[in-house]
Amino acid sequence: HCFRARVNPQLSIRNAVPLGTTAKEEMERFWNKNTNSNRPVSPHLTIYSWSLPMAMSICHRGTGVALSGGISLFGLSALLLPWNFENYLAFVKSLCLAPGLIYTAKFAFAFPLMYHTWNGIRHLMWDLGKGLKIPQLYQSGVVVLVLTVLSSVGLAAM
Amino acid sequence: MLMIPIMFLPSALLLRTPTVVRPVFVSAFLQDQRTPGWCGAQNIHLSPSCHSGSKAASLHWTSERVVSVLLLGLLPAAYVNPCSAVDYSLAAALSLHSHWGLGQVVTDYVHGEALQKTAKAGLLALSALTFAGLCYFNYHDVGICKAVAMLWKL
Repeated sequence: HCFRARVNPQLSIRNAVPLGTTAKEEMERFWNKNTNSNRPVSPHLTIYSWSLPMAMSICHRGTGVALSGGISLFGLSALLLPWNFENYLAFVKSLCLAPGLIYTAKFAFAFPLMYHTWNGIRHLMWDLGKGLKIPQLYQSGVVVLVLTVLSSVGLAAM
Repeated sequence: MLMIPIMFLPSALLLRTPTVVRPVFVSAFLQDQRTPGWCGAQNIHLSPSCHSGSKAASLHWTSERVVSVLLLGLLPAAYVNPCSAVDYSLAAALSLHSHWGLGQVVTDYVHGEALQKTAKAGLLALSALTFAGLCYFNYHDVGICKAVAMLWKL
């Protein structure tokens, strides 16, 4: 049987029956059943105790979505807006904004990018199977946060 | 993974040293432990080689990581060697990485066949337009690397 050939010979589980549905089909069934029944949903985000890895994970997604939005905005502006990039920069320069404001703006650009980059490297380490123990999660998380702040400060100063 | 200590008790060593405990790794499915002698049927998820769609998901996962690493490398490259090749590579890697990333967000939060299809279609349109816009910028305007440099000189 084709599936038995794929199973590790060390795992000798007899009477194992592979499911006939895909994950997608199962998710579909679950949501169809539950949205129609109008059952109340148990509280989850409001009651579960927040941890650093949990918060960093949603921030990774948040920064990713924000950065994607920024890139799309830039790309679409290139297609839709009339002037060249230099013209718009010259316009901003003519506003004579305070150096503090310019630094803050640069920091605001650099911060989500750096966070997503460093945390992205952390994700790639996990994909290699490294640093998955709970204490290591917190340690690497703190390292990412420190690196984010330092690199954002450094980049904004350039 | 279960570590089951197995004690070796060679009779010669009994009088001299304490029992030798050697852990042995026993692989087990992520299921509840059953009592020995249980032989009921158990539904398990396998990656069936006989099903056609399974390889696609695995390939997609690997491709996502490859593009991530590529994009990671392009960031310092854009700084030390800003050029047209890096501009277009950045445009491609950024568009693809954000397309796949937002695709995961849609899969996670958008439920239902019809709604997910529409969301994915809208996302594809957005990513295509973004890529087109970035390429247009690279061709007709200063290009991504130069633009960031000019912006930072403000």
